[in-house]
Amino acid sequence: MQNKLSVRDFSMAISLALIWLFFALLNPNFLTSRNISILVIELSITAILALGMLLVILPGHIDLSVGSGVGLFGGVASVLVFHHNWPSPLAMTVSLVIAITVWYLMGTLVIKQKIPAFIITLGGLLIFKGVFWLVIKNSTVPVTHGTERNFYSLLTTYYIPPLIGYILGALVIGSIAYTYCFTRKRRQSYGFNVESAEVTFMKLFVGGQFIFLFILVTNQYRGIPLPVVILGAVALFVYILTQHTPFGRHLYAIGGNEKAALISGIPVDRVVIHAFAIMGCIVAITGFMQTAYSGASTTTVGDLMELDAIAACVIGGTSLKGGRGSVIGVIFGALIMASLLNGMTLMAISPEIKFIARGGVLTLAVWMDVKLNTD
Amino acid sequence: MPQKQKTILQAKSILKKFPGVIALKNVDLELYAGEIYSLCGENGAGKSTLIKILSGIYPAGSYQGDLFLDQKKMSFQNLKDAEKSGIAVIYQELALVEEMTVAENIFLGSEPSSWGLINWDHIYQQAQKVLEQFGLSIDPSAKLGSLGVGQQQLVEIVKALRKNSRILILDEPTSALSETEVAILLQILLDLRKKGISCIYISHKLDEVFAISDRITVLRDGESIVTLEAKKTSKEEIIRHMVGREITNLFPREKSPLGGILLEAKNLYVLDNRGEEILKNISFQVRSGEVLGLGGLMGAGRTELLMHIFGAAGQRKSGSIFLQEEELKNHNPAQSIKKGLVLVSEDRKIYGLVLEQSIGFNMSLSSLEQFSFRGFINQDQEFQKNQEYFQFLQVKAPGLDSFVETLSGGNQQKVVLGKALMTNPKVVFLDEPTRGIDVGAKLEVYHLMNRLTSEGYAVVLVSSELPELMGMSDRIIMLSEGRIGGTFTQAEATQEKLIAAAMEQKEPIEDAK
Repeated sequence: MQNKLSVRDFSMAISLALIWLFFALLNPNFLTSRNISILVIELSITAILALGMLLVILPGHIDLSVGSGVGLFGGVASVLVFHHNWPSPLAMTVSLVIAITVWYLMGTLVIKQKIPAFIITLGGLLIFKGVFWLVIKNSTVPVTHGTERNFYSLLTTYYIPPLIGYILGALVIGSIAYTYCFTRKRRQSYGFNVESAEVTFMKLFVGGQFIFLFILVTNQYRGIPLPVVILGAVALFVYILTQHTPFGRHLYAIGGNEKAALISGIPVDRVVIHAFAIMGCIVAITGFMQTAYSGASTTTVGDLMELDAIAACVIGGTSLKGGRGSVIGVIFGALIMASLLNGMTLMAISPEIKFIARGGVLTLAVWMDVKLNTD
Repeated sequence: MPQKQKTILQAKSILKKFPGVIALKNVDLELYAGEIYSLCGENGAGKSTLIKILSGIYPAGSYQGDLFLDQKKMSFQNLKDAEKSGIAVIYQELALVEEMTVAENIFLGSEPSSWGLINWDHIYQQAQKVLEQFGLSIDPSAKLGSLGVGQQQLVEIVKALRKNSRILILDEPTSALSETEVAILLQILLDLRKKGISCIYISHKLDEVFAISDRITVLRDGESIVTLEAKKTSKEEIIRHMVGREITNLFPREKSPLGGILLEAKNLYVLDNRGEEILKNISFQVRSGEVLGLGGLMGAGRTELLMHIFGAAGQRKSGSIFLQEEELKNHNPAQSIKKGLVLVSEDRKIYGLVLEQSIGFNMSLSSLEQFSFRGFINQDQEFQKNQEYFQFLQVKAPGLDSFVETLSGGNQQKVVLGKALMTNPKVVFLDEPTRGIDVGAKLEVYHLMNRLTSEGYAVVLVSSELPELMGMSDRIIMLSEGRIGGTFTQAEATQEKLIAAAMEQKEPIEDAK
């Protein structure tokens, strides 16, 4: 089991490297600091949504409505800001609260009425899309007036100043190293097998180099993009939630064996409904980011994002039956999807081919997963 | 006795290795035509591995040694090869589809068809014919799910034999059957023997083994220890060979002084989710230090009663439940556990464990609140607690991070017990706690029950095995069709009395409702 997982992780890293190599060779612009900055913004948006999706898939459910939700709640905030002149933080807060409520209700329907999440959220997909178009009246609604900047537009246009970026990076590396060593020591005291000190050091060293390199590259452009920081925060939140709280354990247990979870005294209903509510919150956040990234709400914002999110989860090793999946895997999965899309856009590949390529990669990834898990 | 002692299936010096373990060491096996041959051994003794070799699940080449069928060397590559040679295997878990009819199930995977179209009339007619052949009065057009587990098992056997099998291998076929159903099954096996069909029978229940077997082979730690003629040996001898030591007392119940009433049910009437009354007028009390046995035939409502009191099933029509003098009403399992009631289900794979997770994950699953602080799990405390129970229950596994899936039945059961006990309960429901686990592990469960009662816990034990029920309970309640058919002290109870109470005739239908 342990071995296979590492084979899997390894193959994921190789695929990613191949994708990058492929695009870097075909288009020298792929590895420029500007494109890397753009790529990580796109990655952040996909990954944040996928992390929310993880929370719904872990207990064995699915959410098809997130793409439409992204459009809708970005749209609600835009309309409040642009047409009603609300201050953007207030508009976003209101939109966020509505999103959480709506997802809480969807979760309740799934649990209490025993309607499969697939159906409820398929309904949601269509309904939200319709409501979205009604809200923006099929027009383009910018996230801000003219060239003015507001909190909303800054979501994807703000970059952390270089110096602060380095400090932030040092802090992150430091805290990762601290937790890593701390955990390792603790596991050792339990008598669990831990990797050798050399391996730990190498991992931290290489990881640290990557973070440093990343900051160096983005600083050459405008600095660390704000979305990356948001992704960091969301990832940390979801990681702690899944690995260090009873709620997270419950998610894995419900997905692994719902009946056993119930008999073990897990409040299955409440846990699943709350997972949906968090999904709602993440949908709204992604909605703001995606809309800000487009500059305005248009009818196509959020299109097919549910599929990218699900694909990122699955490529990252999340089981659609529930009970298996990790934050780091999902981020990797999102990175593969985002790199693919970004590279193809850069090469001006036609949308038809883009669809086919994305579908192909998803299928291939799942096939590989099945293969690696059954051998 | 076999008439001609003609060997039909022979395995010679089988050696099977798994990474790090030798599962079978030079095992020989000889099966005569028309005999019932039993394999006994504790879990992990190598029975299942041997069966998997005989049935082609482990293909030729993955082990050393040879298989001969009618003196001809065989090399099965898969299950299909073995089936073609006339070997059929029936596993503990049924390989049937509940949503399909009996006939569809019997022909599943080999539907007779012409030009790709199935002739349904033909299938039903044929199914009817085979069922009659075995003297079974099962309607071939009934949905399988509508039958009891026992009848489903019989359908499975019919399905296997329809393929003209000459050798039938049954792996723990009776673990889910009631006593009557077991009797029917055993009779069918005896009838098959007369027709010249050989049978390899695997069961932990030695009564069954002795009721039908001609010869018995005991496996221990991957070696065949001894092969004995059933008529010339005894249960005690077989058990001694199985565990490699003498077991003096199979049911070592040590009585504890009784304390106050911990759990009380008063005039319970409960409906199932189809609105049918499944429990009628049930009243009982359990005291601290007591083991209350709950017996009855399959479908008598034993599991339903436990599940309802635990808050996991059924709808209360009337009556009340008190746990430590606090009333339980519209409660769920989470609340029951908080109040000191815990349930260990009869089916640990479905209701007990998250199989793809570690031992530690499973053991602490019900008790996470205990070591959570401000919503975060304190993993040090969690580990210490897990380690404590891991050692206390003597779980045989490399460590807490081993996956539950990889453990034997007995060790899986220990993990479920650990999970239950970690919640600090006062009342423990054990539903068939020894099903499918070996003699050694059974004893450990019994000792655990003694220890619990000596510490003032109350235990409610559900068991289909009367000797276990009589051996380990201080008091026994027999359920019959959802009612209490009789209550006995340990001293009063005899098998006959208990069975009579379980078969207690249904009272005339009341005009309630």
